[in-house]
Amino acid sequence: MSSSAHHPPPVSPVEQRVAALEALLTERGLVPEGFIEQITRRYESEIGPMNGAKVVARAWADPEYRRRLLADGTAAIAELGFGGPEGDHMVVVENTAIVHNVIVCTLCSCYPWPVLGLPPAWYKDPPYRARMVREPRALLAEMGCPLPEEVEIRVWDSSAEVRYLVLPQRPPAAEGMTEAELAALVTRDSMIGVARL
Amino acid sequence: MTTPLSLSGLDLPRRNGELAFDAPWQGTVFALAAAVIEHAFGGDREPFRQQLIKAIAAEPDRPYWESWTAALEALVPTLPERSTP
Repeated sequence: MSSSAHHPPPVSPVEQRVAALEALLTERGLVPEGFIEQITRRYESEIGPMNGAKVVARAWADPEYRRRLLADGTAAIAELGFGGPEGDHMVVVENTAIVHNVIVCTLCSCYPWPVLGLPPAWYKDPPYRARMVREPRALLAEMGCPLPEEVEIRVWDSSAEVRYLVLPQRPPAAEGMTEAELAALVTRDSMIGVARL
Repeated sequence: MTTPLSLSGLDLPRRNGELAFDAPWQGTVFALAAAVIEHAFGGDREPFRQQLIKAIAAEPDRPYWESWTAALEALVPTLPERSTP
């Protein structure tokens, strides 16, 4: 990017279309003053995989919280202050020694935004969306997450009604760690289910 | 594993995470969809989602946020008239 004030970059067609949508929706009173800045700032600075990591760390550290989280994901996640219109009806699925969960959205790109932020590029790509359902074991192996044959793979297809979050297995080495230290172990990919910790 | 984690959420350990939007218009179209869902459909995501599904099915290889743009464009003519609160 070498744009300067003297030579602003040309506006692309899609930028023009989005500007037109913004003007139209603002005129219809659907976009309150400052709304766009507020949403984008939240996603750039407050919302992301670190939120989900805190949820996972709390569940590892507090068995009572883990029970609440698996029983009612939305409510337990809201206890930590995460939620909102993009993430209601959260269901948390727990990995064990014999069950591995992975999330996908086959039709579009539903994602647990408030706890994971914006979806990674590959999550939105057609090959991931199609293959994770058809051949999850092969795709997981290709993504660096080979699983023993005896581990059952459960694929959860997100929808408008339900967003899934994977509760990864706590690594054995995590014994005795504080919650903040535990949270630092948790990766986004482990909460999508394409990695194990 | 010594990455410090600030629980205030300001110190972001985005390990293998995405850094938000690639361009400002992507954030804008995301926020516009949120505005429509929240203010025109009372929080119901389904109408937008149906358009997004159609937009992605129509051109599976189109860049993601362009599909959002197309979905929003298709949704606008169907927006319910705002009723007086």
